[in-house]
Amino acid sequence: MLTCDTYHMPASLTEALSLWATAPEGSRLVSGGTDILPWAREGRAGDVHLPELIDVTRIPELSGHTIANRRVYLGANTVYQDFLTNPELRKALPCMPYCAIWFADDQIREQATLAGNLVNASPVADGTPAVVALNGEIELARLDNGKVVRRILPVIEFIEGPGKTKIAPHEIVTSVILDAADGYGGSFQKVGLRRSLVISVACCAALVRTDPAGRVFESVRLALGGVGPRPIRLTQVEAALVGQKVSRAVIKDIATQAADAVASRSRQDYRRDVVVNFVRAALEEALANQPGGTVNFQDGEELAHA
Amino acid sequence: MPKLKLELQVNGRKVSREAEPHQRLLDFLRDDLNLTGTKEGCGAGECGTCSVFVDGKLVKSCLMPVAKAAGTSVQTIEGLAAPGDLTPVQKAFHKTGASQCGYCIPGMVMAATSALRENPNAGIEEIKERLGGNICRCTGYTKIFEAVEMARDVIAGEMPAAVLEEDAVGESFIGANVRRLDAPSKVSGRLKYAADMKMPDMLQMQVLRSPHAHARIMSIDTSAAEAMDGVACVITSADVPGKDGFGVFVHDQPTMATGKVRYVGEAVAAVAAEDLLIARRAVAAIKVEYEPLPGIFFAEDARKPGAPVLHDYAPDNLVKHIPIRKGNVEAGFAQADIILEDDFSTQQVEHGYLEPEAGIAYVDADDVVVVISPSQNISHHRHMLAEIIDKPINKVRFIMSPVGGGFGGKEDMIYQGMLAICAMKTHRPVQLNFTREESIIASAKRHPSKVHYKLGLKKDGRITAIEFSMLSDGGAYGMSSEGVMRKAAILSCGPYEVDNLKIDTVAVYTNNTPSGAFRTFGGMQAQFATESMMDMAAEALGMDPFAIRRVNMMKVGSRTHTQQELTTASLDRVLDAAEKASRWESGPPTVRGPARKDMNGPDTRKPCTLGARFETATPGPTEAEKVA
Repeated sequence: MLTCDTYHMPASLTEALSLWATAPEGSRLVSGGTDILPWAREGRAGDVHLPELIDVTRIPELSGHTIANRRVYLGANTVYQDFLTNPELRKALPCMPYCAIWFADDQIREQATLAGNLVNASPVADGTPAVVALNGEIELARLDNGKVVRRILPVIEFIEGPGKTKIAPHEIVTSVILDAADGYGGSFQKVGLRRSLVISVACCAALVRTDPAGRVFESVRLALGGVGPRPIRLTQVEAALVGQKVSRAVIKDIATQAADAVASRSRQDYRRDVVVNFVRAALEEALANQPGGTVNFQDGEELAHA
Repeated sequence: MPKLKLELQVNGRKVSREAEPHQRLLDFLRDDLNLTGTKEGCGAGECGTCSVFVDGKLVKSCLMPVAKAAGTSVQTIEGLAAPGDLTPVQKAFHKTGASQCGYCIPGMVMAATSALRENPNAGIEEIKERLGGNICRCTGYTKIFEAVEMARDVIAGEMPAAVLEEDAVGESFIGANVRRLDAPSKVSGRLKYAADMKMPDMLQMQVLRSPHAHARIMSIDTSAAEAMDGVACVITSADVPGKDGFGVFVHDQPTMATGKVRYVGEAVAAVAAEDLLIARRAVAAIKVEYEPLPGIFFAEDARKPGAPVLHDYAPDNLVKHIPIRKGNVEAGFAQADIILEDDFSTQQVEHGYLEPEAGIAYVDADDVVVVISPSQNISHHRHMLAEIIDKPINKVRFIMSPVGGGFGGKEDMIYQGMLAICAMKTHRPVQLNFTREESIIASAKRHPSKVHYKLGLKKDGRITAIEFSMLSDGGAYGMSSEGVMRKAAILSCGPYEVDNLKIDTVAVYTNNTPSGAFRTFGGMQAQFATESMMDMAAEALGMDPFAIRRVNMMKVGSRTHTQQELTTASLDRVLDAAEKASRWESGPPTVRGPARKDMNGPDTRKPCTLGARFETATPGPTEAEKVA
């Protein structure tokens, strides 16, 4: 059971930052709240009493999104369901709908924020690999002599390990900044114990763009979650694929290289198998999801139509 | 604590209230507004019994701090239809029988309503996905999905509204589609389960549970808890007025641990206080000194020489041994052409009913101690409680509240005694609502079992003898173990006529969570072994699995394992129906080629996927307001 002395709902970023700067030790920020409430239960933290909870979801500056210069600026209050329902985001962030559909369920996605998922820094967070594949950055704000000061960090550096990030005291996440990947095909792979409401054992996000004829890989992004303490970007696999002809044999061959990325402490053999199959499936599905084109597999197999 | 000032719309009405800063929207709706159609099945966002609309979006109210609801418009199950009326979705749930225990149903109705609001044309796969955050344990999803599709078609005008009405009943009710009498109360959220009930001046109870599997209680210091503001009473085993002990067969379980604890989660003390928070804080303030004892964690260890003893009355840790003998097994095995031997084990299983245990006790004006709870065995509970609280039977009353799923898990009186004692000590109504975690840790489980099986057969598949030996982990207390062992023994060797049998089922005490009643009551564990052996025998003899069962099946005139002569038998028809429905490709399991003709037919369940909504056009949120 989670209890607190005070629950704040600041109406501006400055108000939130000043509350956060002066909040007693042990106070917490609340975004969607879908993790902190189950956390304060038996088997996890048990009954927890915190001095102050500062809820950031009513801050107008953290809401909505803009797209500029091939980057998508997501307000920190962007919830997972937005990646399924917002046509602009679906187009610009092709792997996010596939990630979102496997995240929790429709109801939790209405509350749970991408920013909160990143700050929690669970090694099995569904959002992290998708964000890393989109060259995600996180914007943090704090007050310095009454002025809002911001800094931006790549998400892959921001997350240091399970539950550990580079967020500094008194900082609040204001935005997640992603590549606008229009034209890429996106996909997301996940293994867990069931469909809805399940935490990943491992997950993988992919973005793929071919030449207009669908014969050659022009750009590939691959990232893994749940196979190590931090998210992993498969840069070597990506580089090996660019310029290669689109073929199942090539995909199969290159996918085996990904197994070496596994750094988890538990179930290593299983995770290595999963990762190889993930990369294959992720690439093939991302190819199939590439908008408005035909993919021509060059090893004489069937054509896949988007 | 500074109170929150809340203004919001709830079911179309303006609500201005103060709330505690830690309250969840769920607490506010249930405790402050009495909107108890919204349930708490898990408190962790897993089950969906608490689903409500906030500004038109369905959310889990157990995951929403109530402050987030300020200024919003909330719609609960009570607000879907006008009083006395039902929406098409609710009517469809009524029509298809999509409500059994009913505890998940308000949440299911909300999720179904949301699915059709988001996409009035949602196909069955999308409906399943959109209901993915809601769990049901007893209704079964088929009727629920059938209801959502029916409601969708009625709303879209593709089916007449008349399909929602009850079908006419002809000359007989047999074969007629009759609606459940209690379904309207469930689909509307109006049915009050024990946790939904309130009485004036009611206290909340919480229980201190053992962190040890086996330990001697050296001391219990309740003084700090007693001294807390708002605490009405603290009880331990010392407060039990009568002869303590309950259980379905042997009364070996104390109301609260007495002298020692025997499993992790056993009740040690309880607090009744003005509210839940005070009760929880008081429980945390009780100090118990334990001296850990060696424990038994595997059934095989319970009967070893020198094993720790759990109960003084059972120095061999035996709960119950049920033997059955028929014919002569040595002679039977001597006649066999082939003898198969193998071992089978099954694990502990939690019932997982959506309604966690809950109850209220009070002492009425005539000094009758009344307990309201979703008990599956109230008459027996009444007799046991009378002894425990030292009252004549006419001064003890049990009222069975609606059971939000039981499956055997609510047969044992694991908390009603504590409620009664608190009510007697305070003369105030006392309520206890288990958390999901508490329900899992404290309630009985399906018996984990190990079966050693020896099966003798003739070449034609005829069974000549069976030796069946089952060892079950009964856990720390007897509960229903004796009955489960009886049923397991009676059903052990399946619906097959076997002349020579030696059957032993044994349950032992261990320091694991007690095992108790669970659907099939021991039958499942036995059938897993028997039917596996039948398939393995078919393979060994090169026979078709249906054929070997037909050779051995009980028929009219057969004698069961316990020597009952059967005057009716239906296994022949069951096998015929199963063979036909499965499109069984006849022959021994070993002779099939790589492509089986009976696999992957048109009605085969497809692998799980998600993303059905990607296949359809982008849903138009502007259409949302048209429906339900």
